[in-house]
Amino acid sequence: MTSSKTAMRLTRILSMLPFVIARPGVSVDEVSQRFGYTRKDLIDDLNLVFLCGLPGYGPGELIDASVEDDEVWVDMADYFSRPLRLTPPEALVLLASGMALTSAGQGPPALEEAVKKLSAVVAPDVEASLVVDLKEPEHVGMLRDSAEQGLAVQITYTALGSGQTTERVVEPWSVFSANGNWYLSAFCRNAQAERVFRVDRIRNAAPTSEKFVPPAEPPPPEVRYTPTEEDIRATIRLGPKARWVADYYPVEDLGEGLIRFSAGDASVPARLLLRLGADAELVDGPEVAELLDDYRRRIAARYRGTSPS
Amino acid sequence: MATVHLSEARLAHNPRMSRVIERILNLLAFLLTVGRPVSAEEIRFTVAGYDQPEDEAFRRMFERDKELLRQLGIALELQPTDVWAVDFGYVVPEDGYQLPDPGLNDEERAALWLAAQVVQLGGQPSGPEALFKLGGAPGTLAGDPLAANLGEESGVLGELFGAVVEHRRVEFDYRDKPRILLPYGLVHRRGHWYLVGRADEEIRAFRVDRMGRPAIGEEADAFTRPKGFRVDQSIPDAPWEAGSDDITAQVVFSSEVAWWAQRQLSANAEVTEREDGSLQVELPVANPDAFIGWVLGFVDEAEVIGPPELREKVLARAEGKL
Repeated sequence: MTSSKTAMRLTRILSMLPFVIARPGVSVDEVSQRFGYTRKDLIDDLNLVFLCGLPGYGPGELIDASVEDDEVWVDMADYFSRPLRLTPPEALVLLASGMALTSAGQGPPALEEAVKKLSAVVAPDVEASLVVDLKEPEHVGMLRDSAEQGLAVQITYTALGSGQTTERVVEPWSVFSANGNWYLSAFCRNAQAERVFRVDRIRNAAPTSEKFVPPAEPPPPEVRYTPTEEDIRATIRLGPKARWVADYYPVEDLGEGLIRFSAGDASVPARLLLRLGADAELVDGPEVAELLDDYRRRIAARYRGTSPS
Repeated sequence: MATVHLSEARLAHNPRMSRVIERILNLLAFLLTVGRPVSAEEIRFTVAGYDQPEDEAFRRMFERDKELLRQLGIALELQPTDVWAVDFGYVVPEDGYQLPDPGLNDEERAALWLAAQVVQLGGQPSGPEALFKLGGAPGTLAGDPLAANLGEESGVLGELFGAVVEHRRVEFDYRDKPRILLPYGLVHRRGHWYLVGRADEEIRAFRVDRMGRPAIGEEADAFTRPKGFRVDQSIPDAPWEAGSDDITAQVVFSSEVAWWAQRQLSANAEVTEREDGSLQVELPVANPDAFIGWVLGFVDEAEVIGPPELREKVLARAEGKL
C-alpha cells in the first residue's frame, strides 16, 4: 500500500508507461480509462516523463513522450517497459478480497482464475498460507436475490439479546458481512423503520410476491448502534481476563478496568456478565442486576433440580 | 493536427512533487541500465536532481528517496563494487523491480478490481495502485460499496503477509508475553485474522488484533515451511476447539434454542434429536473456558450433563465463583 501522494503518482506513472510502450499510439481515452486519469493529469504526467532519462540528459538520452492526434507515444524508455512488482500489502489486499468473495460463493469464475494466477506470481505456495473464509449462512443467497429483485421477504427472527422470536415482513436493501457475521439491512414493515438483522438469527425466510421500491439512497450497510435515552446502562469492572470486552463491544471506557455498557435491552449485558463469571463485576445497573439474578436462579434450578423462586 | 507541446506545458501545480518524481525517474533509469553497483557518491554526481552542495542535504534527500522506492515495492540492495568487498554500491535486482507477468486477461482484471472495491480491509476500500501495476482496470466498474468488511488491522496485516511470503521471523507481545514466531500463514475466519506459525516447537495461532506491534525480522528466508502444511487446517471450526485440553462434553439444548445451537456446532459434534425437539450433543472441547462461556449464553436452555468436573465449572461460573 503506497501511502504518500508522491508514491501513488509514481506508481501510476510506472504502471502506465509499460502499457503505452507496448502499444505505440494507444488512444488517450484508453489510457485514461485504464489508469483512472483525466486527460489533463495524463498529459501532466507525460510532461514529467519527457524531462527524464539517462545521464547526459541530451536529446539522445531523454525519454520521448508525446500526444499526437489523441494518440500517446513514449519512446526511448525501454527500461520502463516492465510493470512494477506488487508490495506484500498490495498483494494481500487483492488476494484477500478475491478469496473473500469466492469463499462466500459470490465470485465469478474469472475471479477464481485471477486469484490463482496472481497467487502463482506472489509466492509459489500462497494458497497454503493465506485463507479467507467468509462462509455464508443459510438464506444469504435468497435475501440477496430478493434485494436485487425488490421483493419483500417474510422472516422469522429471534433477537440476539432478548431471545424474542417475531414474524416480520421486511423490504431487503442489502446483505453484507462485517466482523465475521452476515447482516441484512432492510426496512421492517412491522416496525415501520429501518433495521439491521443478523442473518444467522433469521430462522426462516420466504420471499413474497410483493414488490417494493428501494430508497434512492439507502443508508450505508454497516452495523450501527446509537445509544438513546431509553437505553439500559450498566457500569462493569473488568478483570484482567475480561479486558477484551472493551474492544469487542461499543462501550465507554472509564479507565482502570471500568466500562459503561449501554444496550437497548438488559439481557445483553446480563448474558455477558453471566459468561464472564468471576472475571467481571457489576458495579451499577439495577435492571441488569435483577436480570442476572434471574438467570442465575434459573440455571441453579435446572442444574440442581430446585424450582426457581 | 492536435499536437500537445509537452515541453511548453510544464506543470504549474505542485512543483516540489514534480521535482521528486523527476529525480526518482532519473535515478531508476540510471539504476536499471547501469548494470553494476553504484555508490551514493556516484549517484550524487551523475543523476540529475541530486547535485546538492551540502553533504548532509544530499544524505537526507537520498534517504527519503530510498524510502519512497521501498513504498513503491522496488528493492534496493547494497552489493560490493569489487571482488575484495571494500566498497559497496546500490543495485536494483531483476526480481526487485519487475512483476512476473501473471497472464491476466481483462475480464480477470475487472473481477479483481471489483473484488477489491467491495471488500474492505482496514477501514476504507483499497486504492487502485495495485491494480494499475497489473495493467489497470478496463472500463469503469461500480460495485456494492461495502459487501464484506475484513476488519481494521490492514497496516499490520500487510507487514505480516510480507513476513509470511518472505519467510521472515516475527516478534510480538501477546497476552503480556513476548513471542517469537516463524509465520506460516494468515487466516481470516469467524471475523478475525489469525497469524499461524511455529512458536516454541508448536503450531500456534494468534489473533492479529490482540497482538502487540510486531517487529519483522531483517533476514529473509529465515526458515522453511514444512511441506504439505496448510494454514486452514490449523484454525479450528469452533472457538472451544482451539486449545490443549481433550475433553468430550455432553450437552442438552432445549427445543427452543436447538436451531441456534445447531448452527454453531462444528462437524465434530455428534447430534441426536430427541422426540421433544431438544438436542443431545456430544462434542470435543479443547478450551473449556470458551466452551463454558458459549453454553452460558443459552442461560437455562442448555445443560452440560458431563463430565462432572465440567458441569461443576459451569455452575461455579454461573454463580460468579469462577
